[in-house]
Amino acid sequence: MNLLEYALLAGLFYGLYFALVGVGLNLIFGVMRIINLAHGDFLMLGAYGAFYLYHLLGWNPLWAIPIELVVFLLIGLPLYYLLVPRLQKSGDPEMLSFILFFGLSQVIEAAAVFVFSNNQRSIPASVFGGAPINIAGQVFPVSWIVSAAVGLAGIGLIYAYLYHSRPGRATRAIMAERSEAAATGISVNRISALAFGIGIAAAALAGIFSPFMIGAIEPSMGIGITVISFAIIVIGSLGNPIGTLLGGLIYGEALMLMQTYLASWSELLPYVLLILILLVRPTGLLERAVRSA
Amino acid sequence: MMKHIASFLLVLFIPALALGTPAKAPGAIRIGALYASSGPFASSSLPQYHGLQFWVNQVNKSGGVLVKAYGKRIPIKLIAYDNQSKTSLAGTLYSQLLTRDKVNMLVADFGSVLTSVAVPLARVHRTLLFDVTGTSARFFTPGNPYIVLTSLPTSGIWPTTLANFLIHRKIRRIALLYSTNDFDDSQAKTLRRKLKAAGITPVYDHGVPSNTSSYAVLIHGIAARRAEAVIELGYPNNDIAFLQDLKASGVHFNLVFTVFPGQLLSLMKKNVGDKVLTWTYTYPTPPLLKHRRINYGPTLADFISSYTRDTRREVNFLTIAGYNAGLIIQKTLETSASLKPLAMRRAIGKFSGRIKTLNGLFKVNTEGAQIGETLPVGQLQRVNGKLRMEVVYPLKVKTAEARYPAPRPTH
Repeated sequence: MNLLEYALLAGLFYGLYFALVGVGLNLIFGVMRIINLAHGDFLMLGAYGAFYLYHLLGWNPLWAIPIELVVFLLIGLPLYYLLVPRLQKSGDPEMLSFILFFGLSQVIEAAAVFVFSNNQRSIPASVFGGAPINIAGQVFPVSWIVSAAVGLAGIGLIYAYLYHSRPGRATRAIMAERSEAAATGISVNRISALAFGIGIAAAALAGIFSPFMIGAIEPSMGIGITVISFAIIVIGSLGNPIGTLLGGLIYGEALMLMQTYLASWSELLPYVLLILILLVRPTGLLERAVRSA
Repeated sequence: MMKHIASFLLVLFIPALALGTPAKAPGAIRIGALYASSGPFASSSLPQYHGLQFWVNQVNKSGGVLVKAYGKRIPIKLIAYDNQSKTSLAGTLYSQLLTRDKVNMLVADFGSVLTSVAVPLARVHRTLLFDVTGTSARFFTPGNPYIVLTSLPTSGIWPTTLANFLIHRKIRRIALLYSTNDFDDSQAKTLRRKLKAAGITPVYDHGVPSNTSSYAVLIHGIAARRAEAVIELGYPNNDIAFLQDLKASGVHFNLVFTVFPGQLLSLMKKNVGDKVLTWTYTYPTPPLLKHRRINYGPTLADFISSYTRDTRREVNFLTIAGYNAGLIIQKTLETSASLKPLAMRRAIGKFSGRIKTLNGLFKVNTEGAQIGETLPVGQLQRVNGKLRMEVVYPLKVKTAEARYPAPRPTH
């Protein structure tokens, strides 16, 4: 049994999943230049959604995908109009977004404690079938493969939306220069609201698979997830959703290698990666894909 | 002259009169406590707090606790704050209890992490700390008389029986995976030392951060070392993630040991399911472990009956631990001639080893560490289709034979 081989393959699955974890945060930053510090809390809500669908109705978490995508997209749209246009009017929306979304994160967490209680919750990994799968001579849980596949599909869909759809092209125009996009007749608010909803729905989608990849669900899990997501999107380049895939893969591989060879230090990983990337390449690995304002 | 003599006598007798007058009893005995309503310790902290709260309610319903120092019953006032599982906030709140609320005694929150900040503060403010489940051996030092561990033995003692069991079963390829915190670290140290004394060196020996939630790669690493037994020492969230990942990975070990199925079985069942828990070894604690010949407080059955009736909550080990802390406080107040912390500590020394509650024998050493009960080794076995905790070691208290090696699960 080759530990390195196992760690690399496991890192690939984790990386694809973590790319999905970070992509919503990056899309929102790319379009609106605001940091959604409640990102991890939306993921947590998505996880609870899947948990209750499974425990109350016996539904496989895969059924939660279409339901949560619609529900969280619908939550995101009014939330955008409630919060973001006001932020954009302020002198420093980027800075103020930290404060506002941190507050929102705290509110969501407190409400989640009230509604769901503090006990850790989980979904048995056996919902995807009991027997693990053999890949390249190594055995992996089915839930990892499913989570990675959904991660890849999620990134692929966002890519297709951005590069092969009309609203996606408008989204990229706003990412490049908001005022120029508005001048060409693009409805900046409508497109941004859609991007905000997609960002939140992507977080919820990642949440559905978090019991298999991240561990037990609990109301306070959001902040830690936001930190990891932030590290991933900084590695790939802030504002560049495609770079998130690269960021996710680097994070996943680094995490699995650390757990295999330096398990005691794995907690420091997101912070170490953040510091390294900020020192070596502060604009992220795919900086050229983003045009500075 | 007479005036001078009268003044002299007055000066002489006033203090004597003052000494002779019994001190005025306080309106309430003020107990300070913390709990975590959110964060990683909430699922353990809240049941412990609810157990303590239930004791306070029971005592107050009967007119208060009997305080020997005043020869009468005095009600208890429980002053409690929420630390949200944050040690920094816990430190501030413990200080607030000691300086602003001027509590007569402190009851620590769940576990070693949240207790760690209370230990130096109680010592500095010379207030007696009733430590419920903070079992780190580092808290108990010869120079600190201001701490008493009420529930479990110090964590360094926990694996003693487990080590003996592993040696007794002649299991030599042992993997040790533990969270790097005081509670698990001290258990790992003891286990390592005991195994080494028997000529066994673990084939895998690694600490991981306490917030580790993915164990699959670690399990794979353990399997690569061809371990027969895996001892995973963590907090509940670690145990849940470990058991989930073990099941999902399809890797099988002859023996798997984790800490919290023996304390929070219901929580573990909800999260990982009966199937994963079957054949898992753990430290069984009340209510899974029933102590006999109780001479102080209610029996386990009576407690469960009254607690569930009054609160509609489920009883787990931490509920019992919280309630038991109340019983120890009650006995202290019934025995101590004064409310001064050192007097109370001396009183505890006197009844230590003489009372047995629903939580077992209460016995502390001179440093305040609990030495009354050792934790046996239990195994969750499937009997008539149901999961049942059986004590499998030591032999003199065992209720069933250990199923070793554990049967392979069928997918």
